[in-house]
Amino acid sequence: MIRVVLVDDHELFRAGVRGELAGLVEIVGEAGSVAEAAPLIRDLDPDVVLLDVHLADGGGEAVIARVAPERPGVKFLALSVSDAAEDVIGVIRAGARGYVTKTISRDELADAIRRIAEGDAVFSPRLAGFVLDAFRSGEPVGADAELETLTPREREVLQLIARGYLYKEIAARLHLSVKTIEAHVSSVLRKLQLSSRHELARWAHERRLA
Amino acid sequence: MTQIPELPFERSERDRVVAGICAGIAVALGVDATLVRLVFALLALAGGAGILLYLALWVWAGRDRPIFAVLILALAAMALLGALGVPWTVFLGAGLLLAGLVLLVRRGATLRPGGGSLFIPGIALAMAGAVVMLDHLGRSHAFLAPGALAGAFALVLGPWVWQLTRERGERIRLAERSAIAARIHDSVLQTLALVQRDADDPQRVRSHARRQERELRRWLYGSGYGSAQTFADALAEAAADVEEGHSIRVELATAGDAPLDDALTQAVLAAREAMTNAAKHAGTEEIAVYAELDEEVASVFVRDRGAGFDRSVVAADRRGIAESIEGRMQRAGGSATIHSSPGNGTEVELTMPRRNR
Repeated sequence: MIRVVLVDDHELFRAGVRGELAGLVEIVGEAGSVAEAAPLIRDLDPDVVLLDVHLADGGGEAVIARVAPERPGVKFLALSVSDAAEDVIGVIRAGARGYVTKTISRDELADAIRRIAEGDAVFSPRLAGFVLDAFRSGEPVGADAELETLTPREREVLQLIARGYLYKEIAARLHLSVKTIEAHVSSVLRKLQLSSRHELARWAHERRLA
Repeated sequence: MTQIPELPFERSERDRVVAGICAGIAVALGVDATLVRLVFALLALAGGAGILLYLALWVWAGRDRPIFAVLILALAAMALLGALGVPWTVFLGAGLLLAGLVLLVRRGATLRPGGGSLFIPGIALAMAGAVVMLDHLGRSHAFLAPGALAGAFALVLGPWVWQLTRERGERIRLAERSAIAARIHDSVLQTLALVQRDADDPQRVRSHARRQERELRRWLYGSGYGSAQTFADALAEAAADVEEGHSIRVELATAGDAPLDDALTQAVLAAREAMTNAAKHAGTEEIAVYAELDEEVASVFVRDRGAGFDRSVVAADRRGIAESIEGRMQRAGGSATIHSSPGNGTEVELTMPRRNR
């Protein structure tokens, strides 16, 4: 069974998730702060960390920054009620391989954890919207144009995710395999993490001001 | 009674012409009494200042009427200055100013708030003195007067203004705190009470929680309800309304935004109708809404995984789709496409070209 560490500063929420995921994954540890989480994840070396975007002492970004260099095999799935795009994009750029909202159903969450553990990227409709917004317009800047823009196909896949389609539905609609869809999403994730696209920074800044 | 310093000499009992003042001064200074008398005589020629000074010192030496001594001294100084050609107004101003300051200091008033009570007559005297003096100075040194006046005001009023500003900041903080307390009381505590009451009904608990979440979010992130200025905000509002009215979850994602115009408003209203339809007829717990807006076109997709339907068998009296969605979009210059079949859910696609852009 997939070994999962749960990091969230709300005790009640952790209890809820633990109950929901019982039997689907193995919750090997829990932490409520960055300070607790970092050593715990290093010790337990889980497959997946369910990571709250907002923590009292720094947030999900700080956890990833402390743990990832020593435990490159641990995969992070961001989990939040946050509407703030810059926070979500920030955790993704720090290294999380996906983002889902806390209102996600039990089966969808278990499925997302499984996909993350297998190395896929998991985009909720909201994250897909954020990414499309960030890459929406403007000419590519920087030297590596490939990193700065989405291909038409990637854009199409993201749009369908934003519209609430599942990977297999998207695959059927575009006459592609699910593996190909996953490859497109992983490619978008890579661009999101590596792009120096100034749109990303500017856009996050605008959001913060708004 | 006001204390005044003791004179640095005593009246001479032995060697005196009038009261022994001059001899006393001469002893204290170690000079001949005749010299002192000569000085007083000369001063007496200056408008009688010498005589007045003598009287003042006499009274002073008596130590039982200090106020008279001060008054006579003041008259003496005035007489002297008058004789020297200095306008009396300057002296009056300076005298008043000094008297005011003496009163202030003697009353233990400091120029910091909370350091003691400011004595009103003292301030009045000091201000009057400043004004009288400045009135004179204004004639010969026009540039000095405004600055000096401002300085006097700043000195007297500054501490008050400072204190008032601090109190105002305090009041604002208190007002904010009580506004937060009121908000939490009206909404969060209310919701928690409702949740406890409806603890057996997960559906209602969920809807209480969602409503509270939306309310708090709106309050925290500042987009006032019912006053959406942009396309994305208006859609979020419509989604929230549908969630509230039908206890269903609307997963909204948007890319791009623009100020709301007539055509975009119609698109929002059509999307809202599509969401309401899905909430009523699809029989699911969640609707996905995605809106995308660029320079040329605004698109909204409203999708559910519910029952779906066959357009050809929908009763003609269900005017929601034909009127509120398709008709509305067409009148505003856009279009609506509905993809649905029984068992496969429904997706409504709204497209609105953006003219004048």
